[in-house]
Amino acid sequence: MEQLIIFIALIVLGYTAGTIAERNHYKSIKTREHKLLSLPACTIKNALYNDAQVDKAHLVSGSVVVSVDYFKRFLAGLRNLLGGELVSYETLLDRARREAVLRMKEAAKGADIIISLRIETSSIGQSANRRQSLGSIEAIAYGTAVTYKKVNEIPGKRT
Amino acid sequence: MRYRAKELKQNVNVSRTSPIKELFILLGGVLGILIAVYAALGFAVDLVVPKLPSSIEQSLGRLYSGIYDDTDETPAEAQLQKILDRLSAASGDTEIKYKVHIVLNPQANALALPGGNIIVFSRLIEETASENELAFVLAHELGHFANRDHLRGLGRGLVLLTISAALLGADSSATNFIMNSLQNVEMKFSQRQEQAADLWALDLLNKTYGHVGGATDFFEHMSKNDKRGRIRYYFATHPHPENRIRVLRKNILKKAYLEKEKTALDRPLSKLVTTPGRTN
Repeated sequence: MEQLIIFIALIVLGYTAGTIAERNHYKSIKTREHKLLSLPACTIKNALYNDAQVDKAHLVSGSVVVSVDYFKRFLAGLRNLLGGELVSYETLLDRARREAVLRMKEAAKGADIIISLRIETSSIGQSANRRQSLGSIEAIAYGTAVTYKKVNEIPGKRT
Repeated sequence: MRYRAKELKQNVNVSRTSPIKELFILLGGVLGILIAVYAALGFAVDLVVPKLPSSIEQSLGRLYSGIYDDTDETPAEAQLQKILDRLSAASGDTEIKYKVHIVLNPQANALALPGGNIIVFSRLIEETASENELAFVLAHELGHFANRDHLRGLGRGLVLLTISAALLGADSSATNFIMNSLQNVEMKFSQRQEQAADLWALDLLNKTYGHVGGATDFFEHMSKNDKRGRIRYYFATHPHPENRIRVLRKNILKKAYLEKEKTALDRPLSKLVTTPGRTN
């Protein structure tokens, strides 16, 4: 009986805390994404367009570790029994990927574009090597931050 | 072409479903399957148990008796064993060697474990006054053996454990699992099984002693010490002691059993229980 009470308390705690944390995180992600819209990140390899010339290029990366709450872990555990889409982990991965990209963009301040964007995820923590369990994940986003030469710096170009 | 970023208008990577709704659907599905499996295995146990050969039961019992075998018989156990031997000889069941063990425990209770092991808690012995009263308790446990209730309890308990182990993940090794099951499986029988064992014990008591004096003594002690109301007993595994007394009385009248003078115990057992220290 005691175990059941503790379990239900953990589920309720996980649900409330997890929901609040997720809502706040999404709010922050959305405002920061809007702010950093001027710095695009894309997967193309070639940054050059028209007669633009590259001034600086360097590797930028951003990573984040996010954990899932007890409620969602329990939900996923049930899902593991019955099969089907693991909906409860979708927001976890979505948040991790977007947060990692945002941190990468914040690391690339001043650049014009980030090319060759790659995103990787890995499961870390106690449950990392256990089958069928995902406790917390790390998402790392990396790419090449490119700064173009200003138009007036390009020889032969005068406007 | 210059690459331009676009704001994410809708997120296709996150499903718009309510997690609470999903929880109830999943819980409902899993619980439904569990109940179905538990019921099906419970029926399977009821089918298998009456046909289980006693050799298998003996090997199951060895798992349990391993805990008790290496301790020497105390004087109190020897005295109880004498009563038990007399009862089992009268019942005509010579296939299984029944063995009684006393365990220090503040509850007045006795258990029937596979392999013919009867566990009597020390408190029960302290409360009993006559040999007949003790004999009825032992005969009641023999009744569980005769009806094979102990195997039914074990079967269902094991099913439950298997399911929970499958659910909670088999973190523990196989040996750990067996040890846990040995400690956690409580021999709880249904009220119907308890009543059947009571009546079986009444018949055996009459066969052994020629009368049924002291048959209801234990329950009379119990109902005196037990302040729980009748409503709570509706949910309990055992019938209310007063109900058990009533049913026993009715059967004593119906079968016209005699109630003669009770046999006193050779030596007061309560003094013998605690001598060689044994803790559970």
